[in-house]
Amino acid sequence: MTDVRAAETEQEPQDRSILRSILTHALLIAFSFAMLYPILWMLSASFRPTDEIFSSTSLIPSQVQVRSYPEGWFGLRVSFGQFFVNSMVIAVLSVIGNVAACSLAAFAFARLNFPWKNFWFALMLGTLMLPYHVTLIPQYVLFLNLGWVDTILPLVVPKFMATDAFFIFLMVQFFRGIPKELDEAARMDGCSPFRIYWKVILPLSLPVLATAAIFSFLWTWDDFFGPLIYLNSMEDYTVQLGLRSFIDATGQSNWSGLFAMSILSLLPVFLLFIFFQRLLIDGIATTGMK
Amino acid sequence: MSSPTEPPGYAAAAATPLIVPTGRRARLTRALGSSGAAYVFLFPWLAGFLILTAGPALYSLYLSFTDYDLINPPRWAGMDNYMRIATNDPKFQDSVRVTLTFVLLSVPLKLAVALGVAMLLNRGLRGLTIYRAIFYLPSLLGTSVAIAVLWRQLFAGDGLINNLLLGIGIQGPSWISSPDTALYTLVILAIWQFGSPMIIFLAGLRQIPVDIYEAARMDGASKARQFWRITLPMLTPVVFFNAVVQTIDAFKAFTSAFIISGGTGGPINSTLFYTLYLYQEAFGYFRMGYASALAWILLIIIALFTAFSFLSARYWVHYDD
Repeated sequence: MTDVRAAETEQEPQDRSILRSILTHALLIAFSFAMLYPILWMLSASFRPTDEIFSSTSLIPSQVQVRSYPEGWFGLRVSFGQFFVNSMVIAVLSVIGNVAACSLAAFAFARLNFPWKNFWFALMLGTLMLPYHVTLIPQYVLFLNLGWVDTILPLVVPKFMATDAFFIFLMVQFFRGIPKELDEAARMDGCSPFRIYWKVILPLSLPVLATAAIFSFLWTWDDFFGPLIYLNSMEDYTVQLGLRSFIDATGQSNWSGLFAMSILSLLPVFLLFIFFQRLLIDGIATTGMK
Repeated sequence: MSSPTEPPGYAAAAATPLIVPTGRRARLTRALGSSGAAYVFLFPWLAGFLILTAGPALYSLYLSFTDYDLINPPRWAGMDNYMRIATNDPKFQDSVRVTLTFVLLSVPLKLAVALGVAMLLNRGLRGLTIYRAIFYLPSLLGTSVAIAVLWRQLFAGDGLINNLLLGIGIQGPSWISSPDTALYTLVILAIWQFGSPMIIFLAGLRQIPVDIYEAARMDGASKARQFWRITLPMLTPVVFFNAVVQTIDAFKAFTSAFIISGGTGGPINSTLFYTLYLYQEAFGYFRMGYASALAWILLIIIALFTAFSFLSARYWVHYDD
């Protein structure tokens, strides 16, 4: 690798490159602001009286009121507190299921030899491309016959069966990068595959396990289609379904309450983003680049 | 009795390799042999694959040739569902047109924005991580109901966009309730989420060796020429990856159209995404056979798109081995 900076400065005079960098920053800052403006506006709208929401484009409310939060929270027959608990239960169980089941399968694909390995691996990759609509209706029929409709089981149990093959793929890529000598040394010491998985591979794979955990939390939290199909009674609703019912129930009348609950529904995602930004961004960059 | 995680005397066994480890798991492993152990690891996935993926996929293929309302047993209907879809279903035609328009507009535009911003960020700027985080945030939030709710308000007749336009003296229409513009609000929502392909582009740009650009500069190549002759060709594998992933995602889009149109796909089917139509047939009218046929056609459309991408890749994707 040659030095980038040296090459650039010898071509351009100092002040021109400073000007160029100021212009680039100005452009990026303006663009960032435009990108975030709708979200910031929604945040400020949630603190405004409803009649002011539609007249103002500014981000600063003329008067700050928090009334819309309790109004939204208790705006439906069942409170948003219940929806948050439901969403959290489903998301946490999904994280556990995905990490456990996908890491087991990934360990087999990355580290063990068995007949038909390439065949199963190809099928696993094939399911990445399969739109879930193709399995949707028979799965619904199956869960209906099991009496699972209107419970969280159809949303959670498949995660314990590693149906999110994307995470298997992600983990296989990572496990393959762990030196094989470590397994071999452990095997020489008489370790069973189970101990190698538990004591060698998993402790060395915390970054990829965390990435998978965070992404499965986010995807489950945001999932709308699954709960829409499987959850019928309002007591079982997730936050996303709660928001949908809020639109239907209050129509256009209680925008500030709707915005307040929308902001709260984004909060867990936002917090995860703040704390695990690196993992999320590296996760995307590495899966993209293999 | 041994505990499942830590068989007694394990440490001693580990220190002296000649002693075969005891304990339930070790015995199980020996009994099964090493490929048996592999299938134990594979079991949750394999069971899920057979029970929740392969079985249902085949069953839905069968259902697509039947009439099925969940209450009465499926009744064989031969090619009827497919014939009706092909010849006598205006809603199907609308939904295909809407979905293709959405995919063909949103994917190239999103990738163009993602690449443009990634190149701007790749100049060795200070504050790269902050900009990258800000641009990525919408991709993370964008699929939620909350953002669809926000979009409904932004593009409403008395919404934020029109208020902003009023500031410069333009009276805008109600974007989401006009069939001419409703779909474009969804395209904009998709482009707004350019963050994740942007991150992948950024990672790709960093792989391009700097000395290639230096050599080009020595030869007097302009910036535009450097882009067309170096950056873009070197980046084609990443462009290809992003295009395939984003296309499949765009075909599967659902939540935004559902929330913005109130579940109808209106006005006048202008936001009737294919997935939304399928949902209505299956869970609105309980025409499970018909919906299964729609699902298989979606699979075929996506497979054709993907196959076309992979075949065409030979002519435009450069791999340097």
